[in-house]
Amino acid sequence: MHILIFKTNVDTEEAHKEISVLLNAETSIIGWNIDREDIDKVLRIESRINNTTDIIHRVSTAGFFCEELPD
Amino acid sequence: MNECSFIFVPGMRIRDTHKETLVRKNAISILLRDGLDGFSMQKLAKACGISVGTLYIYYKNKEDLIVRLGIEEGKRMLQETMKGFSPDMPFAEGLKKQWENRSAYWLKNQEAAKFYEKIKRTHYAGPIQDEITKSFRPVMQAFVKNAIANKQLHFMSFESYWSVAFGPLYTLLEFENKGKSVGNRPYKFSKKTMYETLELVLKALTP
Repeated sequence: MHILIFKTNVDTEEAHKEISVLLNAETSIIGWNIDREDIDKVLRIESRINNTTDIIHRVSTAGFFCEELPD
Repeated sequence: MNECSFIFVPGMRIRDTHKETLVRKNAISILLRDGLDGFSMQKLAKACGISVGTLYIYYKNKEDLIVRLGIEEGKRMLQETMKGFSPDMPFAEGLKKQWENRSAYWLKNQEAAKFYEKIKRTHYAGPIQDEITKSFRPVMQAFVKNAIANKQLHFMSFESYWSVAFGPLYTLLEFENKGKSVGNRPYKFSKKTMYETLELVLKALTP
């Protein structure tokens, strides 16, 4: 399993809902959560594959900021 | 899901037990120093000298971190509490063992014990208590039940029992924690005061 960590700007309930639709449709994703309490609004994904680039692309296309948080 | 069952391949983000220990120690220090509201994942990552990204490999968010640390610390505490104790022990002997184990744990792990006491009074307490009392509660219930059946303990409400059986011990440990007792009197916890107090507790609880 891969754990993918991103910095985002998902900070409202509405934005969270939009992201939910997008991520829940992704079959490679086992689980995910966004820590909206954190300044980086961290999106944490547990995925079967390392699809970092694809996720950044999808979230960005939906109009949100999304960048991988380095180790 | 068992967190330890992850299978990693080279090049992936890797779990590291050394880092987990570092995170635990720093998290407890920050929580005690700055309180729950002053605690953040960013602050913790900085204190550990690791990136925020790395911290999120281990924990989903602040709540996940606090609850899991609480469970871990609570389990450690209960393990210590149960050393050499059996619910079949005569009441006075069993309670003595409990006092000795609880005070030994508290004195040996002051930071962790304070952390545990602190989060017990927050909304994180529910999931932590649910998890750790699963194995502990039946043992302590059996101990009390045996004691009542053997006429070694008065029958009373659980709250009355607990506050008399353990309240005085935690009051002494609280004094030790502050280094002072009532009216700012200097205080140092000792086995002598502990056994002296325990004797009074046993007088009150036993027929």
